[in-house]
Amino acid sequence: MRDVRMGRGVFLGVVGAGVAGLFVGGRVSNLASPLGAVVPNALRSLVPNGWRIYSVNPPWPTFDPASYRLQVTGAVEQPLSLSWDEVLALPQARQTTDFHCVTGWTVGGVHWQGVRLQDLWDRAKPTSEARYANFVSLEQPYVDSLSMKQTTMPNVMLAHGMDGKPLTQAHGAPMRLVIPEMYGYKGVKWLTRIDLVPKLEEGFWEQRGYDVDAWVGRSNGY
Amino acid sequence: MATERPEYVRRFSGAEQALHWLLAVSFLTMLATGLILYLPSLAEVAANRRLWKSIHLGAALAFWFGTILIVSSSAGGLSRTVGQIDRFDDDDRRWLKWQVRQMGPKPPQGRFNAGQKLNTAVIAGLMVVFTISGTLMYLQEVDARFRGTSAILVHDIAMYIAIPLVIGHLYMAMLNPSTRHSLRGMVLGTVRRDWAREHHAKWEREL
Repeated sequence: MRDVRMGRGVFLGVVGAGVAGLFVGGRVSNLASPLGAVVPNALRSLVPNGWRIYSVNPPWPTFDPASYRLQVTGAVEQPLSLSWDEVLALPQARQTTDFHCVTGWTVGGVHWQGVRLQDLWDRAKPTSEARYANFVSLEQPYVDSLSMKQTTMPNVMLAHGMDGKPLTQAHGAPMRLVIPEMYGYKGVKWLTRIDLVPKLEEGFWEQRGYDVDAWVGRSNGY
Repeated sequence: MATERPEYVRRFSGAEQALHWLLAVSFLTMLATGLILYLPSLAEVAANRRLWKSIHLGAALAFWFGTILIVSSSAGGLSRTVGQIDRFDDDDRRWLKWQVRQMGPKPPQGRFNAGQKLNTAVIAGLMVVFTISGTLMYLQEVDARFRGTSAILVHDIAMYIAIPLVIGHLYMAMLNPSTRHSLRGMVLGTVRRDWAREHHAKWEREL
């Protein structure tokens, strides 16, 4: 009766495949990614579809269209307090861009609809004191900032529509900052107020060691 | 004829039982919390990432610490267990072929049948893969030096392999009429001798 010590071979084979996967996995999955387009939309929230939702300070805020106000405060000549109807009446923009999380995952080709910040600045008229914009979330505490120059870069917007539908609660309803060239932690969700200030203030994740300028591929240790 | 009380024989040692239940509880905990961290639909319902992440990591630590404790206190006995799981003889290979073709008599098996040996080896390997990829995922969130690997993908794939194996395992242990007596073996340590004679003949005859 031949005894083959196969158990250890199976064990080591599994471990070896796993370690190899760490290095070649990305390439193989890129080849297989067209398969993902086959998953019907109804199933997308059930299966991992790329999006991961990190809740930082639960519970998630609830959007009430009647009482919601988008405020622009601080170093402006004309502070704003827009109702939801007034927000929707602003000039609208659309874009399709990628979303990158600093933890290493990406969702490509997200369709956003929203408002360009320049359209808000045209109405609020920032003063010369305004060098940074602090984006304040209804989820508390969560604030992050951009320089005024960064707010008018291409593809920066306050998005309220995602993939053809209004932003869901999980994705930051009713509005979130979108800045594709930076990691998602800069994109404040459940946006309620933009405060223009002269000095840079550390946002939520900056206080925890993350970079202020969260350029994709060029920050946080790259 | 008077009904005789069946005779029971000890199939699993205390250390084997402890190791099994430690793995079962920690694995299911990591699976549940992992799915919450992973599936958007669940993350919406159970929105508290810090809590689930802490439980997920705590279960992983508990698993490894517990395993080290159990192994170090029963090294002799458990190395015998590992030896039994490691060795496949002709009957094991024929048993595996028989599972596919069901021709002729079913080959006799030892204390572990060939399927159980394979399952143990694969799950053990996956636990190592989960730990390596999971550790990289944990580190890469705050330190970009750990970001160059496909750790998330490997962790995902390990899950896709582990879940059917665990479902099959649970089916055999709890539902399948011919094998579900095994559950008693893992809970109480002992099984009926006549059941052992039928399913693990080469072990039963040595007792």
